[in-house]
Amino acid sequence: MTAASTASAEVLIPSSPSEAIEAFGDGDGIVVIGGGTILMPEIVAGRLVPERALLLSRAGLDAIIREGGTVRIGAGTTLEAVAAEAPEPLATAARQLADPEVRRQATLGGNISTISDGDLQAVLLALDATVRHTGSGGERTEPVASYLRRFGGDDERLALEFGFDEPEAGSYTRLDRPHAHPYTYMAVTAVRAGSATKVAAKGASPGCSRLPAVEQALADGASPEDAAARALDDAEPFDDALASAWYRSRVLPTLVARALADL
Amino acid sequence: MKAVGARFPRYDGLLHVTGRTRYVDDFKVPGMLWCRTLRSSIDSGRITRLDTSRAEALDGVYAVLTHEDPDRNVVGHLEDLGVPPDMPLLAEDEVRHKGQLIAAVAAESEERAQQAVDMIEVDYEERQPFLDIRKAFDPDQPQVTPDGNVYFYDPYDHCRVRKGDVDWAFEQADVIVKGCYRPQAIEQAPIETQAALAIPEADGKMTVHSTTQAMYFSMGIVAKFLGVSLNQIKFVGGTVGGGFGGKVDTAVEPIAALLARKARRPVKYRSTREEEFLALWTRAPWHIEIADAVSRDGWILGRRTLTLHDAGAYTGFSAYGAMKHLHHSAGAYTIPNVFMNSYVVYTNHVPTSAMRGFGVTSVSFAVETHMNRIAGELGISPWELRLKNGNRIGDLTPTRVKLEDPSTVPTILACADAAGVELPSEYAQMTPGERSGELLPEHLEDQLGKADAWRNR
Amino acid sequence: MRLMVNGAEQEVDSGPLASLLHVLREELDITSPKAGCQQGGCGACTVLVDGKPQRSCLTPLASVEGAMITTVEGLGDAGELTAVQQAFYAKYGAQCGYCTSGMMLAATALIDATNGDGVTRQEIEEVMGGHLCRCTGYVKIIEAVEAASRGETFDLEELRRAGTAGGEETMILDTGGQS
Repeated sequence: MTAASTASAEVLIPSSPSEAIEAFGDGDGIVVIGGGTILMPEIVAGRLVPERALLLSRAGLDAIIREGGTVRIGAGTTLEAVAAEAPEPLATAARQLADPEVRRQATLGGNISTISDGDLQAVLLALDATVRHTGSGGERTEPVASYLRRFGGDDERLALEFGFDEPEAGSYTRLDRPHAHPYTYMAVTAVRAGSATKVAAKGASPGCSRLPAVEQALADGASPEDAAARALDDAEPFDDALASAWYRSRVLPTLVARALADL
Repeated sequence: MKAVGARFPRYDGLLHVTGRTRYVDDFKVPGMLWCRTLRSSIDSGRITRLDTSRAEALDGVYAVLTHEDPDRNVVGHLEDLGVPPDMPLLAEDEVRHKGQLIAAVAAESEERAQQAVDMIEVDYEERQPFLDIRKAFDPDQPQVTPDGNVYFYDPYDHCRVRKGDVDWAFEQADVIVKGCYRPQAIEQAPIETQAALAIPEADGKMTVHSTTQAMYFSMGIVAKFLGVSLNQIKFVGGTVGGGFGGKVDTAVEPIAALLARKARRPVKYRSTREEEFLALWTRAPWHIEIADAVSRDGWILGRRTLTLHDAGAYTGFSAYGAMKHLHHSAGAYTIPNVFMNSYVVYTNHVPTSAMRGFGVTSVSFAVETHMNRIAGELGISPWELRLKNGNRIGDLTPTRVKLEDPSTVPTILACADAAGVELPSEYAQMTPGERSGELLPEHLEDQLGKADAWRNR
Repeated sequence: MRLMVNGAEQEVDSGPLASLLHVLREELDITSPKAGCQQGGCGACTVLVDGKPQRSCLTPLASVEGAMITTVEGLGDAGELTAVQQAFYAKYGAQCGYCTSGMMLAATALIDATNGDGVTRQEIEEVMGGHLCRCTGYVKIIEAVEAASRGETFDLEELRRAGTAGGEETMILDTGGQS
């Protein structure tokens, strides 16, 4: 590992996963930079002035392992690699993010850990994924669902690896604002595993969430259309710069129906 | 030599493709300082306290600029044309829009300048902002300026165009077609943000490298803020990295020049993308109401319009923009009887300005949408409606300009062709030639020759 | 810290979290990458890192230590332009020029990776999709990349003559017998 310092920042640059874990320690007062696509604009603009930073670009943590029906993806894996090698629907979701240059740099861990509404969060929720992470008290594995609820909390964790079972089938459908970087304001992921179908959405409520009423209706034998109509049971549509609550409430059932039809 | 219609290579193309074009931000001089700005975080309010002392004391800070520094702090962009100046370069006792400039810092690096900006203390007493132009005439709305929310075009509170007998047209009409159109603000968003590099010279003169689209105009503005004559300033322009109207506003040059004078060092002010979007001027939002008196066979006999131009918090170029808009409010069509009013309305939005057809693009959107609405209500082809009413040689515009070479007819025919629309032969064969026969109904006969009579009156 | 920029080794002093864009422009005076937005949204700062296009504004310096950086200054000069540069010049792919460097580097990487074989319009749109141009509407840019991918070359001498025509230069235009 090399350590470099400037007048304002001490930057740790681990060259292996174990160095990264050691450097992160209990995470107190450390800013973790994966690909940099989310945090660099903040640093350049002077809005974020890290005193200590952990730069993961050489730390490895970027393996995608598919064996025995399970999938493990390192948190440092770029979205380009996720798009190329991960199973569906994760690959399709990653392929539609930002643009090829940003995907080459941005990491899965960053999309899950740095912002509260990363496009891939709902996909991992539908996959019932777990995350192995480290920090105070050492390594732990927990569901991504509970990990996401940490946003804004004090317990700093460093995501190391995501894991889930290979789904039998998956679909991903979304709406975005047309732009060079298509900003997703709503996306629905559906995954079939065993006899269950799991459905999660970004933009139905602030952040990302599962849609249990839809899942229950499907389990009870409802048609995809009837199940999709239940999507609003678990939604708290909201206004933001990309879409109004009114619009979200009207397109959500349609998107769910589309995701189920594509499954 | 035939140049029109020929394809010449771009004169600066070789420099562009070799990365050698020098834009303002590519210039650097020894001892150069960087600028960052403090801008209002609220839409409207009084400034109750402004304390720059901690910023001034910070290491690496060479100058902090406030409203006390310019020779004249209030300079009107169109004051030489009689439009009263109203906008302070740096806010003094009040702010009227989010992003309004309050202070600027010159420091050894952008980071240090930003740190200093963050140390400036400012307190506001917030006021209710006025944001919806549609409410300009409602009582009890917040007042943006001490003189109200509407710009005064002496002797009216609006600019106007009158022609013919609009009451006659509305009495004759088979159908009155009404529409309301609200094109929104658009940021010009050039890829090159506005930038200036001001260099104080040994003889007391000031050299300013500028991204302006309007060299002499910007030079005059800077001279006024500095309180010097034009021969004390040298402006260096050159290749502009996109402007689209937004770079006539001279937003960064005065700040760089005043900071350079105060610091006695060269200062570069490269506005950030956030500033471009939040604080620098945009194309105006509009509220455009159109009512047309239309005959069942597709003649537009008369038009009434009431349009509200959102000037934002200060006049800027709006007095001119609204007038230009008004003169184009009949679109590319000949309407013999018009009664058109346009109001410049102040709001607590960022001031608005030029963008690709200043005021005209917005009303063209409204007029063309309205043409389709008329066609829909009459149940006739929108192509035929446009061709029938389209400007022809000898027609008079609402401002009584006699058209000599109008392009409406060939343009619409080209559009129909590109869209694969087959028109009946009497329309497909149409030319812009003078009106006659069925294309010269009684209500249009009057206008021919009127321009000459009017000019010779 | 060491960087290889356009084939030359450079020693740089900026901090490890400085953006590569800042290092290139402010420290090394390599100004073809532009600070269009400094948040990864416009593509004007794109450079090649080990041959692949990357936003230099989003790239912390420490993450590219030892990497090969290529900017437009390293592509060719006015005497010997690459196929991409020629096509952007001859096919009007550059207007104000501010987005041009990033556009050309993204196109260069695409054509280098495929040798230009069978590059489709869809691939060009995908690869260049994050690059904003406010002047041209993209048509000329895409046409230029298509021409470069087909290996089209242009007689720059003739283009230059046309650019300076009007004096004693021989015009290449059909002037219809008038002069």
